[in-house]
Amino acid sequence: MERLADGDRSAFHPVFELLWPPLRRFAARHLGPGEADDIAQEALLRVFRRAAEFDPSRSALAWALGIAAYEIRTARRKRQRRREEAAPAGTLATARDQKPTPEETAMQDDMESMLRESLGALRPEDAETLRLYSRGERAHVAAATFRKRVERALTRLRAAWGTDGRR
Amino acid sequence: MDVADAILAARARRAYETGRLGSAASRALPLLPLACLPILCCPDPARSIACGVALVAVVTCCLWRGEALRRGVRPGLIAGGVPLMIPVVAQATGHLCGIGRCLIDPTICIVAGVAGGIALGVFAPRPREAHGIPLVTASLIAGLTGSVGCWMYGLVGVAGMVVGLLAGAAPVLAVRRARG
Repeated sequence: MERLADGDRSAFHPVFELLWPPLRRFAARHLGPGEADDIAQEALLRVFRRAAEFDPSRSALAWALGIAAYEIRTARRKRQRRREEAAPAGTLATARDQKPTPEETAMQDDMESMLRESLGALRPEDAETLRLYSRGERAHVAAATFRKRVERALTRLRAAWGTDGRR
Repeated sequence: MDVADAILAARARRAYETGRLGSAASRALPLLPLACLPILCCPDPARSIACGVALVAVVTCCLWRGEALRRGVRPGLIAGGVPLMIPVVAQATGHLCGIGRCLIDPTICIVAGVAGGIALGVFAPRPREAHGIPLVTASLIAGLTGSVGCWMYGLVGVAGMVVGLLAGAAPVLAVRRARG
């Protein structure tokens, strides 16, 4: 890698052959089989694109795996975002397609009243965030900020739900 | 290596080359303000600016290709900085002759060239290193950098600077070679 960073093109193939299998395994360990290969390729291309910036005092494999870890995190975040965007539409479609039985309706009512109580125990900002989230809306803040607020509010909701002793 | 891996290797190679080129360009671009220095003090800076653009292109190319070519860049820029700055300072401090009309201008370029040549002799890689490629690169870059300043005095100025560079570098390199 040091030779490649210096511009020695003859080091390209040995580096490629040494890096590609561990990057592939690393991505496969953290992602599903369909996604792992794509992300490993992205990571490999990024490693070579940034080869000129490689610092010879560092371990080449650790550096390359660090880049792969960043790609994996980005892929996970994208996947989560896609899920969040798809969730409200999917929920509506399910509701339209299936009519709940009386038993399901009763259970749902129970759950809703419990949820309302737990929401009441939350701070008003958290409750409002969750209400907006459940409607598929967003407060007037950046998407990432809103996501973090939702995560925080859900954590508090889980805690409130759990300490009640009902779950 | 199977076909998919071969295709991936080709893509990785392209990524490597474009990454190197981008990195080289981003490191060479800060030289552009230096190339534009003659605008401040020269009535006809077009040729100096052309030299500056050529300098940026050569430095980018050397950094992109790397290895021996890259090793000549820094000493070349240090050595060329002297004949770049001396004529600019002389011009900016009030000695405003027309191109090639007086004897002081070529003398300034020769003196600046000698000073740059000594710097080149001190900082340049050894002549035998990598078949002399780093030394040739350093000399070319020093010449181009110096030309940015000396073109203000015309072809005579550039010729004087080149002669000065050779005259300054040769003895220092000879001494370094003799010392081993």
